[in-house]
Amino acid sequence: MNATQPSPDQIKAFLAADMAEPVAMLNVLKFKPKATYESDASEAELNLTGQEAYTRYGKGVFEVLKRIGAKPLFSAPANRFMIGAGDWDAAAIVWYPSRQSFIDMSQREDYRAIHYHREAGLDHQLLIETTPGPQ
Amino acid sequence: MPAFQPTGDQFRAFRDDPYDGPIAQVNLLKFRVKAAYNASDPEHGQAESGAVAYQRYADAFGIAAAEAGGRCLLMGEVERYFIGNGDWDAVMVMFFPNRQAFIATLNHSTYQDMHRHRDAGLLAQELLTTRVQTATG
Repeated sequence: MNATQPSPDQIKAFLAADMAEPVAMLNVLKFKPKATYESDASEAELNLTGQEAYTRYGKGVFEVLKRIGAKPLFSAPANRFMIGAGDWDAAAIVWYPSRQSFIDMSQREDYRAIHYHREAGLDHQLLIETTPGPQ
Repeated sequence: MPAFQPTGDQFRAFRDDPYDGPIAQVNLLKFRVKAAYNASDPEHGQAESGAVAYQRYADAFGIAAAEAGGRCLLMGEVERYFIGNGDWDAVMVMFFPNRQAFIATLNHSTYQDMHRHRDAGLLAQELLTTRVQTATG
């Protein structure tokens, strides 16, 4: 059940909701031990960890979020489980002014240009959509 | 794997961690369908959801946490999973300037009183402690 992408049903359910409503998306992340860049990527020779590759994605996303009026609420490496158990490396929350802005982001050129870092670094994740209201 | 409380080992590992920087406590929450107050609680017998009971705990916890410099970064109802699968009802992320501030909140004079709302509302949870790099809110 480890996923890096939404299923068609998950996309459909998201798009069926109120596209004008703000959402906060909680990312719970597990990185690859070693980054897996394509051989023609300039980073392929750098021997980065998955976490380092994903951090490059995160820095790029941070810039895109500023341009679309979204707010990163927090990001942090996971330390340990205090209640329950699991195997995650990091967590991050981004607040989007609307569901539409979240969908639009994935179509932007500046987002697509950095997306290869995510593919190189991320093993799997949860992306949980919550409705906290306006920020 | 959900649970209700930290084990002794989990609590000690948290308490004894020498890292003194800001932390965020990421709570993934599953509520009881109906609140389960004890017969001795003033709220006993009211037809309320577990979510309503837990919100009372969250509100009181937030006030106590603020005295120690803590604040809520997110209290959000789970709409759905966009990637991956699971069955959580809500996400609550609390920021603390350091782990002592979290422990101080648990030791706050109001904690014993607020705790019945957590017991009544919560079915199970995970609590992931993270070392904050960036936080706003």
